[in-house]
Amino acid sequence: MIFYRPNNLKNLFELLENSNATNYFLAGGTDINLQTKNIPKNVNIFYISHLNVLRNITEINGHISIGSTATFSDILHSDYLAKHLPFFQNSLKFFASPIIQNLATIGGNIVNGSPTNDVSPLLLILDAKLELISKNNSRIIPFNSFYRGYKEFDLQKNELVKAILIPKNAENNLETFYQKVGARNSLTISKITVAGLKFIENNRIKKIKIAVGSVNEYPRRLVNLENYLITKRINEIKKDELTKIIAVEITPISDFRSDQNYRFVVCLNLIEKFLGINF
Amino acid sequence: MKIKFILNKNEVEIDANPMTRLIDVLREHFQLLGTKEGCGEGECGACTILLNDKPVASCIANLIHAENGVILTAEGIAKTKIGTLLIDCFDETNAVQCGFCFPGFLVSSYHYLKTDGEPNLEKIKIALSGNICRCTGYQKIFDSVLMACEKLDLS
Amino acid sequence: MKKAVKKFDARPKLNGSWKFLDDYSYENMIFGQLFYSTCHHGIIKNIIFPKNFDLNEFTIISAKNILGKNIVPEPVCDQPFMAEKEVMHFGQIILGIAHSDKKTLRDFVENIKVKYEKLSAIIDPKECLDNERNHFGKEILINHSNNEKNTGNYHKNIYYTQHQEQAYLEPQGAIAIYDETKKTMFVRVTAQCPFFVKSGVETIMGNAINEAIIETSEGIGGAFGGKEDFPNLLAGITSLLAYKSGKPVKIVLTRNDDIQITTKRHPSRIEIETWTNPLTQKIEKCNIDYRLDAGAFQTLSPVVMARGVLHVGGSYAIPNIKIRGRLFKSNTPSNGAFRGFGVPQALAAMEAHIDQIAIDLKIDPYLFRKVNLFKIGDEFPTTQKITENNLIDCLERVIKNSNYLSKKKEFAEWNKDNSNKKGIGISVGFHGGGFTGNGEKVLKSELKIIIEKNANVKIFVANTDMGQGAHTTLSQMFYETINHPKEKCRVQLPNTSKTPNSGPTVASRTIYIIGNLLQKLAREIQKKLNFENLESYVATHQNEFPREFRKVYIPDKSIVFDENNYVGMAYKDYSWAACVNEIYFHADTYKLEIIKSWNVFDIGKVVNQKIAEGQAEGGILQALAYANSEFFYKKKFGRVRNFTDYTLPTTLDVPEIDVEFIHTDNKIAKGLGEIPMDFPAPAVRNAFLNATGIFVDEYPLTPENIFNIIRSKNEN
Repeated sequence: MIFYRPNNLKNLFELLENSNATNYFLAGGTDINLQTKNIPKNVNIFYISHLNVLRNITEINGHISIGSTATFSDILHSDYLAKHLPFFQNSLKFFASPIIQNLATIGGNIVNGSPTNDVSPLLLILDAKLELISKNNSRIIPFNSFYRGYKEFDLQKNELVKAILIPKNAENNLETFYQKVGARNSLTISKITVAGLKFIENNRIKKIKIAVGSVNEYPRRLVNLENYLITKRINEIKKDELTKIIAVEITPISDFRSDQNYRFVVCLNLIEKFLGINF
Repeated sequence: MKIKFILNKNEVEIDANPMTRLIDVLREHFQLLGTKEGCGEGECGACTILLNDKPVASCIANLIHAENGVILTAEGIAKTKIGTLLIDCFDETNAVQCGFCFPGFLVSSYHYLKTDGEPNLEKIKIALSGNICRCTGYQKIFDSVLMACEKLDLS
Repeated sequence: MKKAVKKFDARPKLNGSWKFLDDYSYENMIFGQLFYSTCHHGIIKNIIFPKNFDLNEFTIISAKNILGKNIVPEPVCDQPFMAEKEVMHFGQIILGIAHSDKKTLRDFVENIKVKYEKLSAIIDPKECLDNERNHFGKEILINHSNNEKNTGNYHKNIYYTQHQEQAYLEPQGAIAIYDETKKTMFVRVTAQCPFFVKSGVETIMGNAINEAIIETSEGIGGAFGGKEDFPNLLAGITSLLAYKSGKPVKIVLTRNDDIQITTKRHPSRIEIETWTNPLTQKIEKCNIDYRLDAGAFQTLSPVVMARGVLHVGGSYAIPNIKIRGRLFKSNTPSNGAFRGFGVPQALAAMEAHIDQIAIDLKIDPYLFRKVNLFKIGDEFPTTQKITENNLIDCLERVIKNSNYLSKKKEFAEWNKDNSNKKGIGISVGFHGGGFTGNGEKVLKSELKIIIEKNANVKIFVANTDMGQGAHTTLSQMFYETINHPKEKCRVQLPNTSKTPNSGPTVASRTIYIIGNLLQKLAREIQKKLNFENLESYVATHQNEFPREFRKVYIPDKSIVFDENNYVGMAYKDYSWAACVNEIYFHADTYKLEIIKSWNVFDIGKVVNQKIAEGQAEGGILQALAYANSEFFYKKKFGRVRNFTDYTLPTTLDVPEIDVEFIHTDNKIAKGLGEIPMDFPAPAVRNAFLNATGIFVDEYPLTPENIFNIIRSKNEN
């Protein structure tokens, strides 16, 4: 293992280019320190937490840009977020626990790529984008296209998530919903997470976004469900149709923490709760 | 790699692997044994320390995270005014049982008193929600921190 | 109200100066690690050490290196320190390994490979307990029945409970130092019972040593029974490594090793059939089949079973009762001691059963309990007579404190219009103080005090303070008796070469047996020396000091227990308690939320109010979590490996807990250690029954389990 502490981004990419081992980025360390067993001996570790350019929370072109190494406590204490994206901020209040919030970073949560990660369902419904950088390139992609499979991402070799961009007005005038179901109220891993945004006018759904976590190989928007719901009146929604669509869009599994059937039914229940329907 | 930081108000420097877990740096290099290892996975909070004024699980942080930073452990907090007040309150209620988790609770409670300090049970519960205690059922811990908040208010 | 006596060790524990096991270091000390089986049952074919390590740097021991006997001393001696050819369970120790560098040691141990010839194994508790063929060891039969006829209403059910992990926050650990000149083995250990550890170390070392000297660490970071017998095994292997390497050796288990290889609470299967008289609403007859999954070896399970069968009849006057207790064998680590010791399982079944009967008879569970609860003159299944009505007093008090009757009505109304449900439930329980039956007679516990020239009193007991505040309370019991200054009285750190054997720190006996004995000794000394004030007596009689006093515990002669037929007085004094829990059921997530728990105890005299409350609150939360959230094993997915998945309650999960002690004017301080873990759990299930009308015969009531029950109910 060789440890690198780059002086700046330019230096980081130079070092990365010359590295011929497996590369790990170290930010908060809350994952890497749990995986010491699985980390091969021949790895290069690049420390990035000290690079402020990766950590800032700022306002750019109508977006709030959250640096990838911003910790969850940075997010919870950000005035920008409190002002523009209070729903996003409040939803993360019970992430892990305070002593982990002070270390763990939003970028780490995203690129760990766990299907259970807390932040992705929120980013999906808020139309977030990712700013990715590499030595000679910088690109912005919709967060929606980042995950491609279980722990598979749209991320090139030696490419880094620089920031998460959320439209400043993403929550404006919308009804919001976020519920994470875990085994306990703190220090818990999600069994099901449902996040939603909606706008209802004259009892008709004018705008709807729903994303779920822990019930697919990666968190995703339920696009077919959204298409079904849009322009419908609440009382036109049929239980069997809703169930049928969700049954195609989510593929929960049984594991030590929960069961397939439970996950399915509770996911359905929470979506109904979000829609405000009582069959 | 040489790394400097301020530890319990003293400037220190250590030459070690920057990936060394912070808990090992404190316990093995500096003999600060008040920071306990209960699980090694950030799941229990017995190893909580203040890093740059924020409580963190030192078993999942690395030496590099302390670079040019400020660390306060239970030993350091015990010597502060608020730390003393908290210790008095934990003592008053006979809250301490086996005590293994308590240095961690002291650190998280200290941070709460420093940054908020409102005698509000719900807020206290959130502030302590990364610290597990298996002995007490938490009731006397809540009583102690509430008592400390009230006393802090008066002083 | 008088000011609470504070704990002498609270401040040093808070400022980090109190030493737990891992905080001790010795010159030239090296580190040890256990290498254990990852096969549930099999024959070891070969062991391959990783390359790229210099084997000469390591000290490696296996069963072959044992100098004494390869049997851990226990009530039933059937467990080896280390496996020889056959491994009986995952987690069985195969090798002890030591090296001077922790990281090198860990890399080495993680890369050892073993080839096993796999044999059939049972790890599922239900599979183990449902099959009569897995029964092993002696069975217990209690027959307090003179009516073979079965009349009245018939009620029957089978109840299951799972493993529970003690989850003491300080993992298991031991340090062994061999003294070649004296041929002694000094062991510092985090353990409840130093004399058990002594016997463990002396057994594995055989004639190689003259004596094992055991001293606990200053702090014992929780135990709850989990540090009753596993430390014997751990200290034994650590000692052998110290002997072979010639250096002090420290082993501290990682949390993941600790959780996977140490003892847990026994899973249970308890079948109860009952006949009641619908007119009198009285229980007429009851048959109980009490089964525990002991794990791969019996070790101390027969003792757990004994206490279990003595409590499983519950707190009810049943004229005809038969109880059968048996152990069952599985391929999992031996289950062991855990606060409650067979009683939480017993009450999980009986207290649920009582609610089931009440529903069958269409009577409120509170009123049904009132009719059937023990009253003066009733008998335990062992024929022991009930001499007090304190249990009924506990029940009445908790009903009042919780507003049970009006809440019940209010919730029934509320539930009509809501898909979420509110519920309220009761449970009651008791726990016998000290060892069962003749246990205390056999033990002959002895304690010692030394009064020094400056009138300091040193108290020597083998009982440890693992957080329960025992050393504060014991010292308080001594100095309050003779009005001696608090700061002049201190319990010494238990050390088997200095401390007489006052028995293990188990069975809610420390205050009840040792504390009361200490009080007697204090009175005797005062009488013998004839002083008003010990300080001035010592000052005027300097030549008599330092002076040592000893006292041996002699149980009341009236206590006679026939261990073959389970007839007589199983325990002299009983603590009693009653609980009401209020719950809220979330229909969308199937989550059962405990809102508040009211508890009333009779533990006799309360020596230190705050310490007693803290003990009670901690035990109650363990009990609530036992019923509601903690699970160790899941079919198809195996056993827990870490704290991520063994979800202990956090500050955001704990409900409000109300504790009251009644009948505190008693001269005797009865047991408190275990009873808080025994009785509150069933009131969670009973509250859920009240809320939803759904009867659950199994712990824990996790959302998934509730979901599956509701689903299978709907399918039928």
